[in-house]
Amino acid sequence: MESLQLTQGVVNALLLSGTLALVAIGFSIVWGILNIINLAHGAFLMVGAYTTYWLFTLYGIDPFLSLPISMGLMFVVGYLVQRYLINMVIRAPLLVTFLLTFALEIIIINLATNFWKGDLRSVTPAYAGMGFTLGNVQIPYVRLAAFAISLILTGLLHVFMAYTKTGNAIRATGMDIDAAQLQGVRIPHTYALTYGLGTALAAAAGSLISISFPFDPTVGGAYTLRAFVICVLGGLGSIPGVMMGAVVFAFIEVFSGIWAPSMKDAIALLVLVLVLIVRPSGIAGKAFYH
Amino acid sequence: MEKTILLETKGATKQFGGLAAVDNVDMKIYQGEILGLIGPNGAGKTTFVNIITGMLPITKGKVFYKGKEITGWPSFRVGRLGLSRTFQIVKPFRGMTVRENVAVGAMFGHKGQTRSAREALEHVDEVIEFVGMAHLRDKHADELTLPYLKRLELAKSLAMDPELLFLDEVMAGLNTKEIDAAMALVQEVNKRGVTLLVIEHVMKAIVGITERVFVLNFGKELAQGKPQEVLNNPRVIEAYLGEKFVKRFARQFSSQQ
Amino acid sequence: MSNKKKAPIKLTPLDGLFKGRQGVLLGILALFMVFLIIFPLLPFASGFWLNTITLILLLSAMAIGWNFIGGYTGYAAFGNVAFFGFGAYGTGLSMTKLGLSFFPSLLIGAVAAMLFAILIGLPLLRLKGHYFAIATVAVATAMGEIADSWTSFTGGAAGITLPFFRPIQWSGQFFYYTALILALGGLLLTWIILQQKLGYSWVAIREDEDAANMMGINTTWAKVLAFALSALMAGLAGGIHAYWKTFVLAEEVFKIDYTLQMILAAVLGGTGTIFGPFIGAFLYYILITLLVFYLHVGQLHASILGTIIILVMVFTPKGLMDFISGRKKLTLDTLLENIRTYRV
Repeated sequence: MESLQLTQGVVNALLLSGTLALVAIGFSIVWGILNIINLAHGAFLMVGAYTTYWLFTLYGIDPFLSLPISMGLMFVVGYLVQRYLINMVIRAPLLVTFLLTFALEIIIINLATNFWKGDLRSVTPAYAGMGFTLGNVQIPYVRLAAFAISLILTGLLHVFMAYTKTGNAIRATGMDIDAAQLQGVRIPHTYALTYGLGTALAAAAGSLISISFPFDPTVGGAYTLRAFVICVLGGLGSIPGVMMGAVVFAFIEVFSGIWAPSMKDAIALLVLVLVLIVRPSGIAGKAFYH
Repeated sequence: MEKTILLETKGATKQFGGLAAVDNVDMKIYQGEILGLIGPNGAGKTTFVNIITGMLPITKGKVFYKGKEITGWPSFRVGRLGLSRTFQIVKPFRGMTVRENVAVGAMFGHKGQTRSAREALEHVDEVIEFVGMAHLRDKHADELTLPYLKRLELAKSLAMDPELLFLDEVMAGLNTKEIDAAMALVQEVNKRGVTLLVIEHVMKAIVGITERVFVLNFGKELAQGKPQEVLNNPRVIEAYLGEKFVKRFARQFSSQQ
Repeated sequence: MSNKKKAPIKLTPLDGLFKGRQGVLLGILALFMVFLIIFPLLPFASGFWLNTITLILLLSAMAIGWNFIGGYTGYAAFGNVAFFGFGAYGTGLSMTKLGLSFFPSLLIGAVAAMLFAILIGLPLLRLKGHYFAIATVAVATAMGEIADSWTSFTGGAAGITLPFFRPIQWSGQFFYYTALILALGGLLLTWIILQQKLGYSWVAIREDEDAANMMGINTTWAKVLAFALSALMAGLAGGIHAYWKTFVLAEEVFKIDYTLQMILAAVLGGTGTIFGPFIGAFLYYILITLLVFYLHVGQLHASILGTIIILVMVFTPKGLMDFISGRKKLTLDTLLENIRTYRV
C-alpha cells in the first residue's frame, strides 16, 4: 500500500474513533449499569440522525446546533421507555430483555421506514465538503468537528459520572443495587435516567454521523453491533477502555475497508468472536466467561 | 494402624492476582475418616475444595486421589471418579422435582455408567428416604424450604456413590436440634463407608463427629491434629476461636471426657 | 417403614405434559396430527393451504431445534439461521455442482450445518448469556456476508438455482409431507432425548451449570450436542426450503428474521416443553395472519410483530403452554405475575 493511502487511512481511523467511541459509550453505560444489551441502541442513533436531518432540511437549523435538541428529545424518549416498559421486566432472564429491546428496534425502524421512507439521506450544510490538508492528507472540517465533539461529550459524561450526585447514584446502582437502594437511591428513576443517557448519547452520535455519512432507517443495526464489539474490546465499565476499543476498532474498520471492502462487516464480526474467545476480559474490564 | 491415603495435596496453591487464597497446603485425607476443616472466614477453605474438584483452576501444586494424580481435572471427571461435594450456597435444580434432582447424581456420578436414566430415577428412592425427604419426592425443588434444600444438596451428592465427600458448611443456618440431626446423618454416611471432609464453623459438630481437624488461616495450614489438641492450640485460639469460646467449650470438653 | 410401592415415573417438568387435562390435551394433539397427515388428501386442500402449512411446519422444525439449545439447555442462541443457511447452501450446491438427487443432498446440507455447529459451538458455548447470544448473531451475520460475496463457490449475491421437483403436480404434497415428517421427527427426537440422560443433563445445565459439572455431567459435550441437534433441525429445514423455492439467496437464507421467528414460535408455545415449539409455530402464524389481514397493517407489519413480542415478553414469557394446559388460569392476576416478579 502506498504510504499516502496508509497515512490517510490512519488519519481517517483516528477521526472515526471519536465518533465510534461516542456510539459505544451510551451502549456501554446501559450494559454496565442496567445489564441489558440494548439492541435498540442503533435505532435511537438513527432517529437522532433523522432529527438532525429534518431540523436542517425543514428549518435550516445547523446540524451541530441541532445536537442539544436531538439529544434532549431522545433522552426523554429513552427515559420513558425504560421507566414504563423495560423496568417492568428488567430482572427477568436475559432472553426476555434481549427480545424486548430487539422488538423495540424492529418497531422503531419499521415506523421510520414507513414515515420517512427508505431513501438514503445525508445532511449537507454549506461547509460539508470543506476541509484542510496536512501534507498530503485530507482532513474534512466536519469529521474533525465530529471528533472534537465526541471527545467533549465523552469527557462531560466522565465528569458527570464521577463528580455529580446523580452520576454517582447511577454508578452505585450499577455496582450494588441493594446497597444503592439502602442509601436512598430511587432505582426506577435512576435506571430510567441511565437509559435516557444512553439514548441521548446514541442520538448525539447519530446527529454527528448524519453529517459525515449517508444513512437510511436501517443503519442502526450495524452501529449496535459496532458498539458491542467496541465494548467487548475495551471492557465494560471503563470509559478509557471504550475509547481504546474504539480506536482499535476504527483501525480495523478503515483498513479492512481498504483491503477487503465487501467483507468489512464479516471481518469486524469475526474479530468480535475472536476477542470473546481469546481474551475473556477484553483490553480492560470484566470477564465474559463462567 | 496403617491407614490408606485417599486424597493427598502437595503444595496446593490458588492465587488470584497477587493474593494467595490457598497457600502451599499439604493435606492428607485417610480412607474412612471424618476430617474437619476449620478457619476464619476467607481462610480459603471453600477455595481449597474448589481447586481439588476442578471448579477453579489450581495455580500450583498437585492433587492425588488413591495415588493417581488428578491435578487440574475438570469437575465432571472428578465427580465421576468418586469425589462429591455440597455447596455452601445450595445449588438445586429448581425446575426439577426432588427425585429428578437426586437422580442426576445417580445418573452421572461414580456409578453412573452402570445406570440408565430410568434406572437412576428408581434407584434414588433409598437416598431420598435416608435424608428424610420421602414425602417430598415429587415436589419441585423451588417449593422447598432451606433446611430441606440442604438435605437435597446432601442427597444429590450421596446419590453419586462417592468415596470422598466434601461437606461445605452444611450446618449453617440450622438450629440446635437440626444440628444434632445433621450430625447423626453425617455419622451415618461415614458408617456406610464414605470418607468425609467437613468444613464447619459450628464447633459442636467439629468436636462431635470429627476424628481429626485441619486448620486453615490466610490460606496456609495453621494446625492439624485431634479436635481437642487443635481447639486448645493457642495459635488457633488467637486466630480464630477466641478465649471466651475456649472457656465455654472447656466445660463441654471435660463433660464429654 | 419405607414405602416399597414405586410411584410412577412422572415426566414432569421436563416435557410440559401435566396432570388434569393431560388426557384431553394429548387427545387433541393426536387428532391434530392425524388431521395434518391426511390433510393433503382432503378436497379443500388447496395449493395455498398446502403452502402455508408447509411453511408453518418448517418453522416448527426450526423452533423444535432451537428448543434444544435455547429451551432445555438455557443457552439463548440468536444465530440459528446460520444453520438454515448452511443446510440451504449445502443442499443447493450438492444438487447443482455435484449433481446429486435431493435426499442425499439434503443429508449433506444437514451434516454441513451440524459440523458448523460443532465448530463454532466448542468456543462459543463457553461464553455467558449475553455474550453467547451476540456472538451467535455475529457469526450468523458474518456467514451471510461471506456467502453473499464468495461468488466462485456460492454464486455470490446471485445465489443458486435448483432444479424443479418432478412431477410438478405433486410438488405441493411432496414438500408438505417432507416438512411434516421433519416436524414430527423433531418431536419424536425431543421426546426420546428427554427419556435419556442427555435430556436431564440439558436441564441440569440450564438450572445450575456448576452443580451439573460437579455431579459428573460433561457439560461441554452436552451443550455442543444440543447446539448440533438444533443445527440439524434448522439445516434440514433449510435444505427442504431450498429445493421447495428452487433458489438459494444469501440475503434470504441468512436473514435474522428466521431466527426471530423460530425463537418467537418456541417462546409463544413454551420453551422447554415438547409440544411448545410445534404449537407455537401455528400460534405465531395465526397471530401474524390475523393481524396482517384484519388490521390491514401491511407496511406496519413489522411494528405489529414487535408489539406482539413486547406483549409476550412482558406478560407471558414462558409461553402459552401453561395456560393451554390448565396449569395456570388466564386471569389478569397471572398475566401480571411476570411483572411483579421481575420489575424494579
